[in-house]
Amino acid sequence: MSLVTLIPLFPLIGFLINGIGFRHVPKSLVGIIGSAAALASFACALSLFIGFSGQPEVTHLFDWITVGKLNISMSFQIDQLSLLMLLIITGVGSLIHIYSVGYMHHDEGFGKFFAFLNLFLFFMLLLVLGSNFVVMFIGWEGVGLCSYLLIGFWNKNSNYGNAARKAFIMNRIGDLGFLLGIFLIINHFGSVEFADVFGKIAEGDYESGDKTLLYITLLLFVGAMGKSAQIPLYTWLPDAMAGPTPVSALIHAATMVTAGIYMIIRANIMYSLSPETLEIVGWVGAATAVLAASIGLFQNDIKKVLAYSTVSQLGYMFMGLGVMAYSSSFFHVMTHAFFKALLFLGAGSVIHAMSDEQDIRFMGGLRKKLPVTFITFLIATIAISGIPPFAGFFSKDEILAHVYEHNKLMWVVALAGSVMTSFYMFRLLFLTFFGEFRGTHEQEHHLHESPITMTLPLMLLAVLSAIGGFFNLPHIFNGHASLAEFMSPLFAHTHSTAHEADASTEIMLMVISVAAALIAAAFAYFLYIIKKSVPAADGQESGLKKVIYNKYYVDELYDKIFVTPITVLSNFFHSVIEFLVIDLIVEGIGKGVKILSGEARLLQNGTTGYYIFAMVISIAVILAWSLRAFLF
Amino acid sequence: MNSIIALSLFGIANLFLGFLNNRKILLPATLAFVLVALGLNLADWNQEYLWFNNMLRTNNLSVNFASVILVATFLVVAVSRGFGDDEEHTHPAEYYAIMLFSVVGAIMMVTFENLIMLFVGLEILSVSMYILTGTDKRNLRSNEAALKYFLMGAFATGILLFGIALIYGATGSFNIHGIEALVLTAAGGSAPALLYIGIVMVIIGLLFKVSAAPFHFWTPDVYEGAPAIFTAFMSTVVKTAGFAALFRLLGGAFTGVYGTWIYILYFLTMLTLIIGNITAVYQQSFKRMLAYSSISHAGYLMLTATAKVAHTQSSILFYSLAYSVATISAFAVLMVVAETKESNAEKTNENFDIFNGLAKNNPLLAFVLTVSMLSLAGIPLTAGFWGKFFIFSDAFQRGIVVPLVVAVLMSAVGIYYYFKAIISAYFKEGDVPAIELKPIYKITLIVTTLLTIVLGIAPDLVKSIF
Repeated sequence: MSLVTLIPLFPLIGFLINGIGFRHVPKSLVGIIGSAAALASFACALSLFIGFSGQPEVTHLFDWITVGKLNISMSFQIDQLSLLMLLIITGVGSLIHIYSVGYMHHDEGFGKFFAFLNLFLFFMLLLVLGSNFVVMFIGWEGVGLCSYLLIGFWNKNSNYGNAARKAFIMNRIGDLGFLLGIFLIINHFGSVEFADVFGKIAEGDYESGDKTLLYITLLLFVGAMGKSAQIPLYTWLPDAMAGPTPVSALIHAATMVTAGIYMIIRANIMYSLSPETLEIVGWVGAATAVLAASIGLFQNDIKKVLAYSTVSQLGYMFMGLGVMAYSSSFFHVMTHAFFKALLFLGAGSVIHAMSDEQDIRFMGGLRKKLPVTFITFLIATIAISGIPPFAGFFSKDEILAHVYEHNKLMWVVALAGSVMTSFYMFRLLFLTFFGEFRGTHEQEHHLHESPITMTLPLMLLAVLSAIGGFFNLPHIFNGHASLAEFMSPLFAHTHSTAHEADASTEIMLMVISVAAALIAAAFAYFLYIIKKSVPAADGQESGLKKVIYNKYYVDELYDKIFVTPITVLSNFFHSVIEFLVIDLIVEGIGKGVKILSGEARLLQNGTTGYYIFAMVISIAVILAWSLRAFLF
Repeated sequence: MNSIIALSLFGIANLFLGFLNNRKILLPATLAFVLVALGLNLADWNQEYLWFNNMLRTNNLSVNFASVILVATFLVVAVSRGFGDDEEHTHPAEYYAIMLFSVVGAIMMVTFENLIMLFVGLEILSVSMYILTGTDKRNLRSNEAALKYFLMGAFATGILLFGIALIYGATGSFNIHGIEALVLTAAGGSAPALLYIGIVMVIIGLLFKVSAAPFHFWTPDVYEGAPAIFTAFMSTVVKTAGFAALFRLLGGAFTGVYGTWIYILYFLTMLTLIIGNITAVYQQSFKRMLAYSSISHAGYLMLTATAKVAHTQSSILFYSLAYSVATISAFAVLMVVAETKESNAEKTNENFDIFNGLAKNNPLLAFVLTVSMLSLAGIPLTAGFWGKFFIFSDAFQRGIVVPLVVAVLMSAVGIYYYFKAIISAYFKEGDVPAIELKPIYKITLIVTTLLTIVLGIAPDLVKSIF
């Protein structure tokens, strides 16, 4: 069995052991099995990466469905893109598994949690390993299912259950787009294998702006919107914070939500030939980036802030895709996985210490009690705000530089978003770790640094967040852009129009964005450290702030536009159409069949003589019919 | 072909084993015999051979059909549990021996090269079945069923033999390849009427064996009267063998006069589907329902057996396998539940309501029953779905629209009666005590269920072999 097959197999085995043996496997073993499965996959992925020849390799497991000329096989593809995704998923995944051992230790569903986490890894690995759209879709659906299960993990709280349902339904809307896209691909190309589909396009028979490709790319992008929480399908992600914090870190920050970006990079050859779609992708990303960042400005739940920040950062990645800066977007996927997982895990550590308190208005001054958490959180904050030399700076500025070359207005929007990012992140940092403690006495008494299983992943991720940018050091800093270099075969057939900005422009852009970020951070310092202001209690905001605090009332809007009419329509169908039309038809047919059956049953009267008589008559009729040419 | 010889010897060996005063040895011995026969059968893979002076032909098609038959036999034997401990009234050595003999007949029906062999094989199979149907000697229904089956079977055999004689009269040959060539030349217009009569009669004789309407009358009565284990055997092995023979004749020897029989078969396909499915709706007895279900599945198989082209053989094989596996699990669950009720001195019947409340104490049995019903109904993620799918898409590609529409509608009807069993098991109030299953029984049930699900997820695992 090859290494490729082993990668998803380990988490699957982990899932089976912990899932089937739930409540029977001893608690001490559960965490070891779950984490070992993730680590084993990581080891396999690493050795594949080291031994990678540079040529894509497809491992064919078996033919899954053969219908007519269409053959859908279960096969895995190893190339630059899937290798990098594998490393991120299994690497960050392993750290989060280890972290969960400490974080979830007191939970009675410990075994179930690890089973779901392993299952998630399995599907996520399937998603990035699949060598065709259908295997990718299986993974795509699977991670959606796991996300649902894990958001609603504490299922005794019905709000959490609703959040899980919301996530599932919004994802289903996106999935429908993805599915239709796949159908269109099958219809047009007669295959779902990446190699076949992209190979046909690479032959050069397709003009830029080809109608079929336009539809396919748009439909696939709808799928990406759902999974990667872009406008208008983003509202599920903040609600998904109902799940345990490691889940938010793994699924809703580092891995699953970047699946949409993975898909577009995978299909970059199609997107590059559909400039209209790219324009839409770019602007949806820009709008999401700035909208989500602005909502993040005034949220008071530590995880909600991070959730909106995730939505916003995903917006940046899509912006990068929209201007065909595919490797820059991927670079941001990678650095974001590091620092956002770190932020979530740090938040988890805080929540753990605060006895499940998540409201930053009741925190403060935690830096002395939680030194490791504080320092790692600080590193992540600097990284996400785009301040050099930490990881976020390099990846975000690369995207911004490409956006600037493509469209100045989009760049302004992106810059505004990055100013806000810096502000809300430092606001979060200051309110949580500086100043006086604002919680209850009891909470203060319980404050403690988290155990080593939790702080170790924090430290490792902090290192990665700090140095992650050097994986793709741009040329102007005498770097080699090694990541972009490594990924370049993926874009061999893409006729990129994106060209590098010249060095002076690039430096100017960097200075502007770093200055903007620093000013925003300083403003946050002024507000929350010097003036020591604390956000107002719920319901006391006013004006624009109130609108933003309530997330622009988008949920309410969706409720009015979609949910209410559907409910009304559904009630109408239920009480009128169903009752008067469907029931009558269905029950009528049912009754008809039953009556017919009662009659037909009488043919079988038990008398052999009658049976033989019926057979003889039948034979006579059949013979007469077949000899009609001779008889008549 | 050595499998035929081996099975005959094993049957005799079984009879001798019956003299030992140890009934326990019979079940494992028979299982081993069937496995050996399966191995011998597979040894013929990828070789084309004529045997016994051109009487039998083995090739991949025949190996596949024989394998399906042997697998079904193995599963049936595995759930037979040595026929209980009633020393006075059951004779397991004889039963197993007869089953092995009947498989010899079935394999001959698959491999025949000469119409005489078809007749001999069919008779070996049929006579064995008449006996097995009547094995519950103290049960009036069983006796009645055996006699009815024999009377009607003899009638059908007569028709078949008459048909063979007429074909011989018209062509002067029993060899099916010889007949094929002669039929092709005769189809030019000079064919005597007796050739047509002969062909139609042979087809009718076989349609009787696979219980196609209007020659299905024996099926419900015989299925209901026969002991459940033999009903399972009958509805899987006999049906597969019958369709193999039918397919080889229609797709080979009789293709020349395609126009003569094809419309008759279309019509009978629709009739079979309608009678099988519609009548099943009213049945209270689970066993009788399965009898009608077996009629309706004959209808689906006839839809592809009418093809002139050889590639439909994989659809027939896949369907036969899926159907056999699901049917055997259904009968196996029925048998243990009925037996438990009986030993608790409750009034026994084999109606749907004996499954009431099954899921409460016997989750495994309820699950096995559910999967088999879903597969028979053709719900996705079970083997039965793909079986139907392949058959329907074959039919669609060949443009057989009207029978196809009937088949699709009737498979919707099928869901109603198959789901009645699931509803009984999960939603109806009732009390079935926890049933202790013997390991081999449990393993067989798990294997059949897993097979149904695995083939439902990855049908190409098997279909690519066929």
